[in-house]
Amino acid sequence: MMASIRQNLTGALRGSCPSLRGQWQTLDQQFQALRLGSFAARSSRCVSTAAPNPDQPWGAIQAAPEIDVARLRVAKHARPMPVSPSYFSRQPHFNDSYLTLQKMMQSYGNLPTIPASEVERIAWNTLEDIRQTLGEPVKASEYVRCIELVKRLHQIHPKLKPEPVKQALAAFKRNVQPFTNVTNPIPIDKFGRALGVGRRKSSVARAWVVEGNGEVQINGKNLADAFGRVHDRESAVWPLRATQRVDKYNVWALVEGGGTTGQAEALTLAIAKALMAHEPALKPALRRAGCVTRDPRKVERKKHGHVKARKMPAWVKR
Amino acid sequence: MSAPNCLRGLGLGLGLTRPVALRNVAVTAAPCAAAAAAASFSTSAYLQAIIARPKKKAVEVAFGHHRAGKKMKLSKFKKANKGDRGKAPAPGERKAYRKRILLSNNNAIPVAGLQDFAPETMLDPSSAAKVLSIPDAVVDQLRTIEAFKTTQSWSIFRKPSMLVRAETVELATRMQGAAANKQALRLVATGDKLTGKSMLLLQAMTHGLLNDWIVLNIPEGQELTTASTEYAAIPGTANPVQYMQQNYALRLIQNFRKANEKVLVRLMTVFAHPELPQNIPVNSPLLQLANSAKEPENAWPIFQALWKELMAPGRGRPPVLFTLDGLPHIMKVSDYRSATFEPVHAHDLALVRLFSDCLSGAVAFPNGGAVIAATTRSNGPRTPSMELALAQREAEQSKSVVPAPEAFVKYDERVAAALRTVQVMRLKGVSKLEARSLMEYWAASGVFRTTVDEAVVTEKWTLGGSGILGEIERAALMTMRL
Repeated sequence: MMASIRQNLTGALRGSCPSLRGQWQTLDQQFQALRLGSFAARSSRCVSTAAPNPDQPWGAIQAAPEIDVARLRVAKHARPMPVSPSYFSRQPHFNDSYLTLQKMMQSYGNLPTIPASEVERIAWNTLEDIRQTLGEPVKASEYVRCIELVKRLHQIHPKLKPEPVKQALAAFKRNVQPFTNVTNPIPIDKFGRALGVGRRKSSVARAWVVEGNGEVQINGKNLADAFGRVHDRESAVWPLRATQRVDKYNVWALVEGGGTTGQAEALTLAIAKALMAHEPALKPALRRAGCVTRDPRKVERKKHGHVKARKMPAWVKR
Repeated sequence: MSAPNCLRGLGLGLGLTRPVALRNVAVTAAPCAAAAAAASFSTSAYLQAIIARPKKKAVEVAFGHHRAGKKMKLSKFKKANKGDRGKAPAPGERKAYRKRILLSNNNAIPVAGLQDFAPETMLDPSSAAKVLSIPDAVVDQLRTIEAFKTTQSWSIFRKPSMLVRAETVELATRMQGAAANKQALRLVATGDKLTGKSMLLLQAMTHGLLNDWIVLNIPEGQELTTASTEYAAIPGTANPVQYMQQNYALRLIQNFRKANEKVLVRLMTVFAHPELPQNIPVNSPLLQLANSAKEPENAWPIFQALWKELMAPGRGRPPVLFTLDGLPHIMKVSDYRSATFEPVHAHDLALVRLFSDCLSGAVAFPNGGAVIAATTRSNGPRTPSMELALAQREAEQSKSVVPAPEAFVKYDERVAAALRTVQVMRLKGVSKLEARSLMEYWAASGVFRTTVDEAVVTEKWTLGGSGILGEIERAALMTMRL
């Protein structure tokens, strides 16, 4: 008996019990049946307080008829079931939402879908996000199954997608949607200039790149005056060198903040971005040359108890 | 919580704990002073004893006892005595090594088809953007008058060769024009660092020597004004007193004589020089006059006599080229002091005054010639007066807005006067054609191991700050791992 109850309960929690739905819907009927049954029993087993009929003496008393157990069906449940099947679980939220999705899948699974490649790209909450927000130890495998459902429901044709599905899916969307961030293309102005901005360490560089013959001016100075070190000069014009475009463009740049290395490498990024505005096809070549990604390294902060960011005071014996 | 801790919290801990401390030592300290109790724990005496004690092991000598605590050790990075270090260089040897000029390298590949400079080469516009080599005879002359610099990389090539740039042709043409008109070209070559100012001077001197000019060169202006050579007041001068630099003058005359021997031997004196101790009769070779400078005492009078002879009008004297490198050094107050310990202006030094007078036009060149000075950037003092004067001349020449002097800068009137009418030639980057020609020469010499094509030329030209010659050289040659 207990085993079967447990099985039913687990099945209910997992949402796999096919009879659950019927059971829920007939709850009221079952109560009705309970009431009716007790009324019927009372009617047959009552003790009358009226005076006995003299025509029928005590000897005429008959034994009660045999109790028909089949007729006397008692209700399975003595009190109503909770609304959520996860009621007895300590972590009901994920389960609930999973079950909701599953129900929706049953209801709306037959709606027409669009190909996965044409579906709007959406960043769903990660497993870690869900664990954080719900505070429940969600299993990775369950998360995977849940997200599969989410993606399948999301594939429903947008014009036919029911409102409940939209609401249910909204709960799974990440707050910040990276796919909505579209970089603004760098325009080329009427003089043929493209402005690129680059940063490195604490330097910021703005480079206007225009078609030309290889002249470079930085803060009003030529390249040799701007950077005494040949290595820095090479860093600054590296996007042009790496793509063999040194003699095709002129650069006019403003750079501020930081030191020489930072300024030179900020210029790398700025010139590369402006160059990509002129020739977008150079992006892979520039990426291979290391001119596309911003170097995120910065000065590490000093910590208390340390002499510098990581240096510890010398150990002194007492 | 234990009892002592409770009591310490109530401020009674000291009283309770002190007897415990005192129990361990002899009770010689003052009973009331907590400091005395603390002093009895000092380890300094013990430490001193450790240091004073002679150590047996070398390790212990080096690091002391392992419980000695922290102490400063200044000899931490000092290396152990290496023993014999070989012979120390003789006095002056290091300086000679630093100052030596190697003009040839037998490991460099001789460049096929490299032509020598001819007397007319620099006048020919078609020789622009060509690399040509200096004839051997002229190399010797130039070396004598110290026209080559240590900063120029002659030592990686087979033969001293130079790029003829557009400015070279222009300068040579102007020189020749001035000489033809029996006038002096008075010109200052200026420009950014490493743009080839000294090299332009060298080219002017080469042109002069090839064309049998008399060439007089002051290789470094700073040698005259940094108080590194002896000086003496010239008798009879006052307000201001002028100073002669006899040792420098002697060396100048000797170098001048050696370099210009070929010309001096056929020029005859036209003046008697009674002020000189030697008897130099009229119509004796100028070489004899120059040869008479043997000691510093009479070097300056002989220099003056030589100058007078060279400037003699109408005697078939050749044009004179007077050059000086490092102009800002002579356009300021010098490091010399007068007898009253007042600073001496550079223009009160007789030799410098001669040059500045030539530059200002106060000294005439009746036989024609040129006075050319080059500024210096990497080793130059800041001279606002000179900078302003040059900027003004440049603006006047290009007919643009002449810069006004700044209100709160004290300008030197003598400097302004010296530069009031000079021509200014500003050197900038070379063209790509010139850069290419130079790189082809490098490649042919075997020091630039790349195919010289358009891409490489533009790349080095850009890295060199839009064609600044010295920077191209740095980017192309000096960063290579040869």
